[in-house]
Amino acid sequence: MSELAPHTLLLLLLWGTVVALDLVSVPQAMLSRPLVAGAVAGWLAGDLEAGLRVGVVLELFALDVLPIGAVRYPDYGPATVAGTALAVGAPWELGLGLSVGLGLLIAALGGWSLQAVRRWNAHAIQRRAAALAAGESGAIRKLQHGGLLRDTARGAALTALGLLVGGALERWLVLDRQTAVGLTLVAVGTGLSAAAGGAVRSAGRGARLRWLVAGAVAGTVLAVLR
Amino acid sequence: MTGGWRALLRLLAVQGTWNYERMLGVGMGYAAEPLLEDLKTVDPVRHGEAVVRSAEFFNCNPNLAGLALGATARAEYEAVPGAQIARLRTALCSPLGALGDELFWAGLVPALAGLALAGVVLGAGWWAVLGLLVAYNLVRFGTAVWALRTGYAAGMRVGAAISGSWIPAAVGRIGPVAGASVGLAIPLVAGWYLHGFGWVGGLGSLAVAAVGASVSRWFGPSLTSVRFALLAMGLLLFFRWIGL
Repeated sequence: MSELAPHTLLLLLLWGTVVALDLVSVPQAMLSRPLVAGAVAGWLAGDLEAGLRVGVVLELFALDVLPIGAVRYPDYGPATVAGTALAVGAPWELGLGLSVGLGLLIAALGGWSLQAVRRWNAHAIQRRAAALAAGESGAIRKLQHGGLLRDTARGAALTALGLLVGGALERWLVLDRQTAVGLTLVAVGTGLSAAAGGAVRSAGRGARLRWLVAGAVAGTVLAVLR
Repeated sequence: MTGGWRALLRLLAVQGTWNYERMLGVGMGYAAEPLLEDLKTVDPVRHGEAVVRSAEFFNCNPNLAGLALGATARAEYEAVPGAQIARLRTALCSPLGALGDELFWAGLVPALAGLALAGVVLGAGWWAVLGLLVAYNLVRFGTAVWALRTGYAAGMRVGAAISGSWIPAAVGRIGPVAGASVGLAIPLVAGWYLHGFGWVGGLGSLAVAAVGASVSRWFGPSLTSVRFALLAMGLLLFFRWIGL
């Protein structure tokens, strides 16, 4: 990460903001999926492999999330961008664990920040309650633009925080090889447990469970044969 | 339908003002504005009332919001009593939420994400990522166009239009596809990462996965996968720090 040029960091900040907006506000085009966010972040930083490695693990965690209604869920988009920036240039076996750890922290913070923006939006609506009750279209437009601006600011702040913390970790946290590999193994193991747990919960006891098992058998055979 | 394309684009940001008070309400009002423009010249009083109704509480899956938007806009032009339109909006929240969440969040997204994960592991790289994006957005945008048109064509009979549409059948079919896709991806991803760490490393990582799955079931929602991962990483760092 320390080798990233300022303009690359700016591009990552911009990309992190875009994927944060994509999660809920606009356009919900799946840019915020860790796999997508990580691949593009890795490409921007000149290390696609790092982006894919971080993106795949965080995608496993994201598979455990059902973004339904008012539930608070982690924001993996900016988290993946920050994690990828930290992983760039390091051998993935050594850098992946810490990058995923940073990503998970930022993702959790992202969930809290989403709630704050939702409350902020509610306050804005209360302030314009009279205009809404009078049927003023202008009030609706202002509220909508305000909501989008708030989420943009949230995404930018979250990504910037992730990049800053990543820079600090790289500079001040020196891990020996064994610890770095251990963290990577823990990151992969917990990611697998998240995806498997989410898949079993979603499957219930019907046809979906049978197809899940069939898929797992096919995947295991393919993994062994590779 | 005047303003249909503008309404469709605005629907992409229907959750732009998501909040705990009106949920999607303001976003729906924003998307309804172009559809209701003609009403302003025909009946300004009705238009004002329609704008108020359009931004009231509403919640559903954002990808199916067009059904409610189209139906209520049509009802406003047909001068259906306001209380009846409000009841229609309320009645649509649960079915559109349940169907949309099953179809998209619990079905299409994990199905495509699983396939993309498998693709990356099998060496497809960018193509797997692009495939995920293109496939999802084709379905999603196609659904949005269909939803707005169907809602507008059906008006107050939108419930019958939904139950007779492709949506219920698709919900039934996408679940097994998602299950198979995620099931396929998990062992492939495990092999991709753990291949180079030898038996000890691989088994250690799988043991962490097994512990994670067990404790998550035991503790339920209080120990999310993120919390478990951060706890496990913190413990590892602590044990290494004290020299274990």
